[in-house]
Amino acid sequence: MNKYYSTNMSIFVFAAPALLLFTVFCVYPLLPQIWMSLHNHDGFRNLGFVGLDNYREMIANSSFWTAHKNTYLIVAISILLGLPLSMMLALYMDSQTPNLRRFFKSAAMFPAILSVTVVAQIWVAFYEPNWGLFNSLLKAVGLESWTKSWLTDQYTVMPSIGLTFLWQYIGLNAILLYTGIKTIPKQYYEAALIDGASFVKVSLRITIPLMQDVIKYVLILSMLGSMAFYSHVRIMTSGGPGDLSRTVVYQMYYIAFETSQFGKGTAIAVLFVLECLLISFLIQRFVARERLEF
Amino acid sequence: MKYLIRLFWLIAGCTFLFPLYWMFSMSFKTKSEAYNNPFGIPQIWDWLNYSEALTKYPFFLYLKNSLIYTIGTIAITLVAGSMLAYCLSRMQWRWNAAALFYISLGLIVPIEVVVIPLFQLIKSLYIKDSYLGLILPYTGFSLAACVLMLYAFLRTLPKELEEAACIDGSNVYQAFIRIIFPIVMPALVTQSILIFMRIWNEFPLAFIIAGKDQFRPLTIGLLSFYINVGISDWGIIAASMVLSSLPTIIVYLIGNEKIEHALTAGAILK
Repeated sequence: MNKYYSTNMSIFVFAAPALLLFTVFCVYPLLPQIWMSLHNHDGFRNLGFVGLDNYREMIANSSFWTAHKNTYLIVAISILLGLPLSMMLALYMDSQTPNLRRFFKSAAMFPAILSVTVVAQIWVAFYEPNWGLFNSLLKAVGLESWTKSWLTDQYTVMPSIGLTFLWQYIGLNAILLYTGIKTIPKQYYEAALIDGASFVKVSLRITIPLMQDVIKYVLILSMLGSMAFYSHVRIMTSGGPGDLSRTVVYQMYYIAFETSQFGKGTAIAVLFVLECLLISFLIQRFVARERLEF
Repeated sequence: MKYLIRLFWLIAGCTFLFPLYWMFSMSFKTKSEAYNNPFGIPQIWDWLNYSEALTKYPFFLYLKNSLIYTIGTIAITLVAGSMLAYCLSRMQWRWNAAALFYISLGLIVPIEVVVIPLFQLIKSLYIKDSYLGLILPYTGFSLAACVLMLYAFLRTLPKELEEAACIDGSNVYQAFIRIIFPIVMPALVTQSILIFMRIWNEFPLAFIIAGKDQFRPLTIGLLSFYINVGISDWGIIAASMVLSSLPTIIVYLIGNEKIEHALTAGAILK
């Protein structure tokens, strides 16, 4: 029957639109990227072949390394701090009554459904030096000397932006992880219950190992999300003070669209794609290699 | 100990909601109260910020644009995506496996890395100052997840489904529209929600492509409004934030069960 329907014509009609859209707008842009990175290009004209000069110049630029330091700081915050917190929230939600769980789920989702423009600007107000939330709280408990101009201080700017990011996505990740907990069949817990194992022990020995697929998914998602960290920086500090809060993607945007050096911008992009591929590969290779079937 | 943990998470739960409260209360404060009482409940509830925001901030224009981008992307992705998924899962085509692998590459490419060539491409196709300039790239980047989910769904259906249609004498297009489309509806709803969540708040690409005010979606329009107002008038800024967030908040309040379901369907699939 399906053979009857599978004429060359019908296959073409069904497959072509999606494959065409996907090829033109998702795959094709990757190719001129490499070509462009070897040329001096200002966004309108190609000003000649320069070989690897763009790469050499970008790597010699100190902003490039500041941007890398900041990007990996965000990655570290979201993986080392964010994921464990999300996991704890997910485990805590699992142990609660349905009503409390519903409260936590809705509360945790709210930051993630708001636009990044709204969230980042709210936090700009919280970090405001004169009347902002953090300085007001510090003044209220008598720690006046700790007050800071959070977003213009070179040491606090990146952690401050990172905290906003953390706050926005902890809840969403917790909900994803919670669904992983839900897929574990109940009989796995029966033996542990008879032994009288503690909640912490059950979580570490049974729950977390059995939901490694979902953990891996959330890990890849937060990894790529924080690698491409850009929007919050754009809204909260525009990369400032100076270049101190630029991330790799921000640096790429800055070089390409604000200084009209498209060739150099794409050189950053090409290096960045390689980094992302390497990290995805490492996660695929070393985290949760076997699929679990229940 | 147990109570300490509960206290910790209750406070954490409230911090998730606090910015929401702050945004609403701030939007009702006069300029002087915004500075004297930035975190309390407003003493005088003042609607002035909203009327001023609505005159200065072209909310309905940006809302219309966001709707066009999101609905356009959802429509094209679902139609093209379900057709390809149908072809890959139920038609006999030599390149099925290759095409499936090819389209799944789309899950790895983050949209941010191809922004520069995409910008050039959209300029050279003369669609930069039009809605298609964002809808088409969004579609390209939404297809992979859509096709993979629908493919997994269609694979579980029995082969005999189209037989009845075939005996009735309908051709493959009629069979697809009358029989397959209604069956995959639940999966299409899930995909629509996932695409909505991603595209409605998409920032990095829209920031570059939607240069003209007339084509800006809410996220970008709101940022340019902050810059116009300056950072002194927080009442108006908060009012514009509330207005811009209302659509998503309403959607979430109506469909939060469906949204959670969609998110988890996305997580379990991969």
